[in-house]
Amino acid sequence: MLVVEKLTHVYPNGVKALDDVSLMVPKGMYGLLGPNGAGKSTLMRSIATLQVPTSGSIRFGETAEIDVIKEPEAIRRTLGYLPQDFGVYPRVSAYDMLDHMAVLKGIGNGRARKETVESLLNQTNLWNVRNKALAGFSGGMRQRFGIAQALIGDPQLIIVDEPTAGLDPEERQRFLNLLAEIGENVVVILSTHIVEDVADLCPQMAIMDAGRIQLEGAPSALIDGLKGRVWKKTIAKGDLDDHRKRYKVITTRLFAGKTVIHVLSDTDPGDGFEPMPQGLEDVYFSTLTSARAAA
Amino acid sequence: MFWKIAGFEFRYQLRQPVFWVGAFFFALLSFGLMCSPNVSLTGAASAIHKNAPWAIGLASVAFTVWYMLVTTAFVANVVIRDDQTGFGPIARSTPVSKFDYLMGRFTGAFGAAAVGYLAVPIGMFIGSMMPWVDKETLGPNDIGVYLYAYFALALPSVLLTSALFFTVATVTRSMMWTYVGVIAFFVLNTILGVTLARKPELDKLAATIEPFGGGAYSYMSKYWTVAERNAAIPPFEGVLLFNRLIMVGLALALLLLGYSLYRSGTRGAKLQKAQKLQQLAAKAQQEVARGGPLPKPVFDGALRSTQFWKRTRFEMAQVFKSPAYAILLLIGLLLSFVQLYFSGDLYGAHPYPTTRNITESLMYGPLFIMAYVISAYYAGELVWRERERNVHEIVGASALPDWAFIVPKMLALALVMVSVVVIAMVAGLLLQSVRGFTDYEIARYFTWYVIPTSIDYVLVAVLAVFLAVISPHKFVGWGLMVVFLLADIIASSLGFGDHLYRYGGGPETPLSEMNGMGHFWIGSYWFRAYWMAFAVILATLSYTLWRRGAETRLMPQFRALPHRLRGAPGLLAGFALVAFVAIGGWIFTNTHVWNTYRSDKEQEDRQALYERLIYDKFHGKAYPEGIPHPSIVATKFDVDLYPHEPRMVVHGSYVLENRTGQPLNDIHVHMNPDPVVQSWVIDLPGATKTKLPAAYEDLDYRIYHLATPMQPGQRLTMGFTTVLGTRGFGNDVLNTRLVDNGTFITNFDFAPILPVERGGLLENPVKRRAHGLPSEIRPPKLADDSAAIRAHNYLEDADFQTSDITVHTDADQTPLAPGEKVSDVTANGRRTARFVNDKPVLGFFAVLSARYAEKKVPYKGVDLVVYYDPHNPYNVDRMITALKVALDYYQPNFHPFQFSQARIAEFPALVRGQSYAQSFPNIFPWEETLGFTADVRNPDKIDYVTYVAAHEFGHQWWAYQVIGADMQGDTLLSETMAQYSALMTMEKLYGPTKIRQFLKYELDAYLRGRGSEELEELPLMQVESNQGYIHYRKGAVAMYLLRDQIGEQKVDDALKKLIDKYGFRGAPYPASIDLIALLKAEAPDREQLIDDLFKYITIWDIKTSEMKVKKRTDGKYDVTVTIEAKKFRADGKGKETDQAMKAEPFDLGLFAQKPGEHGFGPKDVIVFKTVSLSTGTQRFSFVVDRAPTWGGADPYNKYIDRDSNDNLIAASN
Repeated sequence: MLVVEKLTHVYPNGVKALDDVSLMVPKGMYGLLGPNGAGKSTLMRSIATLQVPTSGSIRFGETAEIDVIKEPEAIRRTLGYLPQDFGVYPRVSAYDMLDHMAVLKGIGNGRARKETVESLLNQTNLWNVRNKALAGFSGGMRQRFGIAQALIGDPQLIIVDEPTAGLDPEERQRFLNLLAEIGENVVVILSTHIVEDVADLCPQMAIMDAGRIQLEGAPSALIDGLKGRVWKKTIAKGDLDDHRKRYKVITTRLFAGKTVIHVLSDTDPGDGFEPMPQGLEDVYFSTLTSARAAA
Repeated sequence: MFWKIAGFEFRYQLRQPVFWVGAFFFALLSFGLMCSPNVSLTGAASAIHKNAPWAIGLASVAFTVWYMLVTTAFVANVVIRDDQTGFGPIARSTPVSKFDYLMGRFTGAFGAAAVGYLAVPIGMFIGSMMPWVDKETLGPNDIGVYLYAYFALALPSVLLTSALFFTVATVTRSMMWTYVGVIAFFVLNTILGVTLARKPELDKLAATIEPFGGGAYSYMSKYWTVAERNAAIPPFEGVLLFNRLIMVGLALALLLLGYSLYRSGTRGAKLQKAQKLQQLAAKAQQEVARGGPLPKPVFDGALRSTQFWKRTRFEMAQVFKSPAYAILLLIGLLLSFVQLYFSGDLYGAHPYPTTRNITESLMYGPLFIMAYVISAYYAGELVWRERERNVHEIVGASALPDWAFIVPKMLALALVMVSVVVIAMVAGLLLQSVRGFTDYEIARYFTWYVIPTSIDYVLVAVLAVFLAVISPHKFVGWGLMVVFLLADIIASSLGFGDHLYRYGGGPETPLSEMNGMGHFWIGSYWFRAYWMAFAVILATLSYTLWRRGAETRLMPQFRALPHRLRGAPGLLAGFALVAFVAIGGWIFTNTHVWNTYRSDKEQEDRQALYERLIYDKFHGKAYPEGIPHPSIVATKFDVDLYPHEPRMVVHGSYVLENRTGQPLNDIHVHMNPDPVVQSWVIDLPGATKTKLPAAYEDLDYRIYHLATPMQPGQRLTMGFTTVLGTRGFGNDVLNTRLVDNGTFITNFDFAPILPVERGGLLENPVKRRAHGLPSEIRPPKLADDSAAIRAHNYLEDADFQTSDITVHTDADQTPLAPGEKVSDVTANGRRTARFVNDKPVLGFFAVLSARYAEKKVPYKGVDLVVYYDPHNPYNVDRMITALKVALDYYQPNFHPFQFSQARIAEFPALVRGQSYAQSFPNIFPWEETLGFTADVRNPDKIDYVTYVAAHEFGHQWWAYQVIGADMQGDTLLSETMAQYSALMTMEKLYGPTKIRQFLKYELDAYLRGRGSEELEELPLMQVESNQGYIHYRKGAVAMYLLRDQIGEQKVDDALKKLIDKYGFRGAPYPASIDLIALLKAEAPDREQLIDDLFKYITIWDIKTSEMKVKKRTDGKYDVTVTIEAKKFRADGKGKETDQAMKAEPFDLGLFAQKPGEHGFGPKDVIVFKTVSLSTGTQRFSFVVDRAPTWGGADPYNKYIDRDSNDNLIAASN
């Protein structure tokens, strides 16, 4: 269990990337959804001990016994982290780098390390290219290497930050499947701005924007909360501004030259709107819309 | 479009920090050069104005070499920026032509580089206006000079380096490789420069092709006098113009090359490789079921050691496998080798590559700059690698403890530094092998060089890591390293020399084949221990301040410092701190309590005080204005020497005689103020010590008042006891006189001195003014000649006296001193020898003791002996031969030798840059590197071993038979005559051709020496004793010319008469004018020449402008030679006035081969005759049987000619 309490982080330039964030993350996949710049990566990095937050606390463990900020060494022993963006050393092969990472993560025993490295190279489909320099890898291959290294040592806390960005649909699917399988027994935090990633996999989620947790819960419950409140209308492009003024528009989308808008309304707004089966995307955008309206 | 792009680029570069940092740095450097009295980066003499046109030009040229680092940042950025930022494809998809895009950008970047270099003239100009600058060191400021220096001299170099590294960046597409290119260019240029500098005949070629124009600049002004340097800057003509034009042309060609090599877009090869990899990976695309649980981590001791070793190996692989490392190492090897190849050359001959010679030149060679570059570079790389490679988050989130992350990095860097030292050793072994020197002493290499230097370099590396850690960016760390290096250089030039606050500092360990490291290594290693303790603190701080993960700020790390120091790091730092303080205290006790440390400033203050309190007051003028003092008529020393301690106790006595002609009430006594003198006691019965202010005692000056005045002609005996020794070690090398094996100490070091010499006073006029002293301190002028002046010789109180010196030393050493050995007894582990001169000699005595081997050859009633170290036996026979030949010349031609022995004794090389030989009565101590390890076996080289032997032996006549009065021109009678004697010895051994080869060096050294004159150049007749370039160099040329013109017999007759008249007598002593008079008496018809050579500063300019050779119908040849002749007279500042030449006799020769070239011999001389030359152009015609290829006037360069290369010309039709 990961417990984040009142976490605030202010960058030297004055940007408040985290603003009183509190979260309780149980075992299983946990989706952290938010637009770019919402503070997701800052939160992820804070949990991964890579930066020290300005205030607040982070605890982890069966009984949340590890104070992550005070004892970063303790959490690192059971942490798997795949950052949003990472590079590689020059002239180092996938095998050697994974082996090296295994050493860093505490697999000192040679046999155990061999088993770890070979198993992970197989799982991530990198066995054939294990002796090639990582520097030449494509984005997808590199990402697979990233997940492989995150899984070393059977971590209890796995943090993956925007893992599917830059992957093709097939790769993305395979990646998510792997995650889902791992996520059964450990805490996995999946940070993303892609709604489907969360919708398909995560029993629990939070929506983050402007450094705050805007909404938290199980995706299905959140979707249910919008039941009967989402309405759709196809309008001419020129009418958009007028509609924005009159309704609470949560999404707009071009479709065959016309604009399709979704609005949020407890009652039927009439005016050509028709009821719409709500999805997680509507939850997401309505949360962002109201968060920004409040700000 | 072109200009728009250029303008954009220009403005873009101007906004970059590198522009402002670069400009600021160079402005500061130029400013400091101008307005700081102690900074002279160009090594110009202090008589040359700070803002002399020549000095401005030199700085403008010299700084372009370092500015290339900035230039490269601009132009390489032009090429690499787009690829780095990923903006390239966008830029390249615009319809801008390649020319506009690339050349426009280059133009903009070059423009920025050019504007940035304006910092140099502006900085110098402002610096010269600063109110605190000594006005005497400034001349008028001429804006035109600054502009000329900037545009004509510097800008072409900025263009050249811009174009060169633009092209390198275009080809390599990598900032790192471009900078490797910069280093390679720098090293190659240095190597080329050093190589060509050793070949005087190639200096014009070297000047032409030297890329920065510095070679051409120096070439044009190499013989300029101070006055010329103050008044002018080499004009834009001749070699300089040609060089600048070549470099601009080369720059344009390079640009064209870079332009044509430029390919837009990503490289194809890389793309293909990536695709192949993709396919390989795709082949096995399949779902793989997740296996069982992976092994869990185990955090135990075994893991820690695995982590440590794996990480260390990883870091090392990262460094050692990188191509840049191989390149840097190769450069290091090359640099060391080339430097070694030429180091220690004298007159074109190499020294033997003994381990000492090799290790010393490695230690103080340019490699240390490489060490700084490499340590700063790799510290930056190692500290920033994870962040730059963007793996810092993955690594930072792993369970690796910080220490296991950082310590391997430091270890890797330390090994890099050690590898640099080892590669330098390899270069040394390589050179030894190339020279066929197979006595490889690996152990000595390690103890003398590899171990101490590795420690020193690792200390630098630790600092570099620390600076990298506290810097917000890699470049800032590098910048801080440069700042540190400069601050250290400036601190040392400002006289802040205490190694307790100079990081990594400590006394040097003088190395010697004779003395090994002696006891000198002890102090060096204490300082090393001290700084290593500090380095451990730095390393611990680096560890605790290390920014793990995504954090870029330093402040949080600082705040976390107390927390992070808990446990082992704190313990380590604490332990190191305790060690640092404790060792510091021990060092302080040694360097400040037991020994005295004086900064340069304090040392100068002391010299100034000494001059005011003692010299001016008592000795500045000869009696009757100065104080009178008695003469020493007999000296007795009993020297008890303990070389291993080292310690020496001298009991001695002088028999004094009052020759002043009036009663003496006081006797002034002075002692060598060096701290090696621990105590001195004077025993003068019936005298009381006068109470003087404490400053006098501090300056080791005492006055003894005689109860009953000493009457004229009266004698009395003064006894004394001196204890010399050292306790512990000093801040710098202490006491190089009294050493384990190779003690060489003189009476001026250990015995009381009666009158005071000018020798120890401040000489530099700028420093003298800064201390409120008159600008100059000079010997009495020739014009002020008087009996009082003639009463003293230039060794001050060294009157003719008998001597009786007893030396006790360890039984395994040989004691030596001037005098006939009357006893030599070894008992109880001590050897005692007594040396007596019962006929009076000049009172300059040396005591030597070492484990000598001895070669003794009796020759014509004289024992010729060489005492040498068994390590250095190479030239012993050569020395004996030299003494034989010299004796055979000097005895019949000058005067019989006054002693029955002539002994050469080796002493160890302990003071770097000061290798010399000295002549004492019948013994000549000689430093090992000057002659004992010289390799002069090659007959093409000049045998300077023989030369030095003959010179020192010559002093037995020219100092110990005749010595000049203490006034201008005195060294003409000693040094110049010793030079002449040595020349004659050399001629007897090797013939006149060799002498000409040698004199070419001497003439060059004289003409160059004029440019670094601090006060005024004087004619030979008035030469002062610190003007070596005149009394040695010009003296040799002048005497050889004189002898050529009036004949050897007449010169030697004059010298013989000089000895007959003045030899072996005390006051009145002769002066230079006495010798001139004798010479004129021998050759009354050549008064003009004698005056030209001795009375005036005369420079001839003989030029052969044409030689036409036409074949006649009878098979013979018509030859016409056109000669232009001029003569100048210069004043002391180098201002020249024309002198009319009226029918002066000169050699004229026609040759089948160029004289001086290999294989030239008498068979090649077609015509050789004397002709009369007058000012102006003159033609000479000949009919000869053979066609000459070369010809001209003064073909053998006997005259003092400003351009000795245009005397000969090749034949034309």
